[in-house]
Amino acid sequence: MPQTETATGFTPETFEAFLASRDEPTWLTEQRRAAFAAFGELPQPHSGMEEWRRTDIRLLRLDKYAPALERPAVDSLPAALLTSGGSTSSIDEDLLDQTAPLVEQLTGVGDTPAETRLALAGQTAALNSHSISSQLIEEHAKQGVIFGSLDQVVTQHPDLVQKYLFTRAGDLRYDRFAALHAAFWSGGTILYVPQGVRIEQPLYIQSSITPGSADFGHTLVVLEEGAEATLLAELSGGEEAGGLHCGGVEIIVGRGAFLRYVNLQNWDNTVWHFAHHKALVEADARLQWTVGALGSKVSKVNQHVALVGPGANAQVNGVMFAEGRQHLDYHTLQHHEAKSCRSDLLYKGGLQDQSRMVWRGMIKVDPGADKTDGYQRNDNLMLSDDARADSIPGLEIEADDVICTHGATTGRVDDEQIFYLQARGLTRNEATRVIVAGFFQQVFDRITIPSVREALGHAIRRRIREYE
Amino acid sequence: MFHAVARTSEVSDPGKILVEVEEQLVALFHVDGQFYALDDVCTHDGGPLADGELDGCQIICPRHGARFDIKTGAALTMPATFPTQSHEVKIEDGQVYVKLNKT
Repeated sequence: MPQTETATGFTPETFEAFLASRDEPTWLTEQRRAAFAAFGELPQPHSGMEEWRRTDIRLLRLDKYAPALERPAVDSLPAALLTSGGSTSSIDEDLLDQTAPLVEQLTGVGDTPAETRLALAGQTAALNSHSISSQLIEEHAKQGVIFGSLDQVVTQHPDLVQKYLFTRAGDLRYDRFAALHAAFWSGGTILYVPQGVRIEQPLYIQSSITPGSADFGHTLVVLEEGAEATLLAELSGGEEAGGLHCGGVEIIVGRGAFLRYVNLQNWDNTVWHFAHHKALVEADARLQWTVGALGSKVSKVNQHVALVGPGANAQVNGVMFAEGRQHLDYHTLQHHEAKSCRSDLLYKGGLQDQSRMVWRGMIKVDPGADKTDGYQRNDNLMLSDDARADSIPGLEIEADDVICTHGATTGRVDDEQIFYLQARGLTRNEATRVIVAGFFQQVFDRITIPSVREALGHAIRRRIREYE
Repeated sequence: MFHAVARTSEVSDPGKILVEVEEQLVALFHVDGQFYALDDVCTHDGGPLADGELDGCQIICPRHGARFDIKTGAALTMPATFPTQSHEVKIEDGQVYVKLNKT
């Protein structure tokens, strides 16, 4: 009896089947082949490597997952995905109406009144690394803005994508997961904003997986000189059956441009999450980057901000909360390659149960990058005796005239503060919530998009256990 | 709940193997005819323990030399100061079963 089996794993056979399922420019196929070769050559990360010392991936079974070959059936979409249908170059009114509850459900800001809901300039959605929909309002499309599925745009504008994809902000040989991602990325999103174009309303990316599936989404963002945009990205799904995210983000903020970027991973607590994020910030450009880490079983993320032109400015915010046996490992690099740049990083993490968090941050200042102003700080709040947080700040300075400072704190919820609040009529639970909210307020104050602040605050409040 | 993890004959005496129980790695030890199970975690820096050397009823963390009692998980020397979790083991018909103790 012949049996039909879906091939899993990332083998030469599944790689060839994956390539055969795609109609892509030759340069991209060659890039994928080079990445797949690197995946075969690079060593599997293990605890003997400094970067993997604190993250154990011996239980990861890559052969359980498969590349995005078959488009998922529409009826397997998670409930949050209200939009279906193909891509359109402009949003019609009906679709626009539907986007509000979509964002509302995904970000958990359900109590937001209709009039203050986030109005979007466009959105893309992907399931299991297949593009489901993409929209951009007509006004911006006419201005030359490109926003949509990277899969589709690479065939429409191959030269544009070729110029940026894994050239300046992506290193497909960084490690085995970077190579795996570059070989098998699919779906994904591109945002290209031409010179001087300003997009007032946020653009929204949603990536989701069905239980047991994999997401290989790649995000490519290019802002040309003086452009301005706000991009929100959210990853979710994998309910209880696990899943794999092996992702990459490349951002290029051109001279004098301004990008606000929010990346929230809110996977189910059974999903493996590996990602490489890198942004290049050119002369006098500004980047405000907020990372939210709430989900996943194990996360290992590299976030790299390179300040490559004089006067570049980057603010990096991290909001993390872990529970159960979650393990979140974030490595940040603020690389000052040019003079007179400023970078300011603040990561805040809350931990409960037996969760574990690792933050390893580096400020690297190249020779000649004088007048650098670099700052990094990581604060952790422990809500249980069994949680563990590792903070490892670092400085590597090769210029003479710089200001570089860092700090890290780890503390428990203070019993005296609890007592003080209880003396004013709060229960222990309420007091704990007030203290946790106060702890995160410092980083929320830096996030200039109200809906993002609310969504993150709401998600954290929901997670805090009843402490008696 | 007990999970079958190995045949008794698969672990030399003295010896150790790494097994997977409910998506957790557990170090299984066999010393003087008895079996013991511990979390594969050194409480000093969270590193794996089972790769270390076995010295009687002590396992020595390969990173910094912290010693743990394989019977109880107790931390015996610096730099570890907290015990690592020990788990229940039973043998039936030459089969080793492990039940996770959860805090």
